[in-house]
Amino acid sequence: MQITLSKRINELLVLAVLEQGPAHGYQVAMSVEERTGGIFSFQHGTLYPILHRLEAEGQLRGEWSGDGRRRKTYRITAAGQTTLREGAEDLQRQFSVLLELLGRTHAA
Amino acid sequence: MRHEGSLAAVERALKVSPERRLELIEEVDADVDALQEELERRGYSPESARRAALRRLLPAPETLAALEAQHAPRLGRWLRAAGIRGRVERLGALAAAILATMALLAAIWRWDNAAASTLLACSLVMVVSLLAANWFRAAASLWIDGSLPPERRRLLWARQVGLIVAAISLGGLGATWEGYTALAALDASASAAWNGVQRSVFFATLGFGAALLGLLGWLALIPRLITDETAEGRITALLVRSHPFRALRTPTRKH
Repeated sequence: MQITLSKRINELLVLAVLEQGPAHGYQVAMSVEERTGGIFSFQHGTLYPILHRLEAEGQLRGEWSGDGRRRKTYRITAAGQTTLREGAEDLQRQFSVLLELLGRTHAA
Repeated sequence: MRHEGSLAAVERALKVSPERRLELIEEVDADVDALQEELERRGYSPESARRAALRRLLPAPETLAALEAQHAPRLGRWLRAAGIRGRVERLGALAAAILATMALLAAIWRWDNAAASTLLACSLVMVVSLLAANWFRAAASLWIDGSLPPERRRLLWARQVGLIVAAISLGGLGATWEGYTALAALDASASAAWNGVQRSVFFATLGFGAALLGLLGWLALIPRLITDETAEGRITALLVRSHPFRALRTPTRKH
């Protein structure tokens, strides 16, 4: 499936955060913001479609907890870890090519 | 400003099944509260913490569209993607009308244009078509669009009951009328009487059969309707509990 770069980066950010351990949606949002120094942040609930898509694809597992007021916790699956590893490698390749090109353009 | 939005507005705007809707708003509601508490711990005032939490987590219209695309029933998604959602109901109604007309014409032709029978049969076929269309609308709302809102549910059920009663009445009236004419024709011609009996059976079968199918058809929707109503009840309870500025009116828990 062809997805845009920003969409892919967002997915990888979420997977990277969840690789550190299970978290609620808001914790994922905060962690992404903090760990990227605010360069990446999720506003207006944009985090949820990403979480739900990854869950539907089997890359995350969402679990409800609590009797009265329920809360949803996400944890990464083995498939998610593979996607994260491969996605990170892909991005690294793409960015190194891009930076090299930009460096040459700048030098020229 | 984003904080003017509320969970209730999100709930109203989301066009997915009540069960899905409940899960989505339950998740957002719990996250907003937890994030607000977290931000307050970091020194935000309750109001600014609430605003910041809502700005981050409350879905905007574009986000709602993305969520709907993910959580709408698969059949509905496919029909909308193919651009034929609107045509499905029209095509179904057209096919039902053509079949009903053909059945009616065949019956009238066999009955030698008996005026009273024809009139009754026309009315009965119309009621049966409306009964089928009414059920189809309810089923399409549930399984294609994802939900059947309570006021629409009540309207369709009232119509279904009315049409069931009409089918029984017309079927009974037709069967009685044809039975009466068969009895009257018994002395004159045995074949005419036999035709009358056949027509009587036709009316009884069509009227009572349609009523039974209309009832069973609705009963088939009941499990899903119960699930939806339960979810709607929980959504209402959650929305009563939740308010964009709830934390400003009630003491916030401190850790």
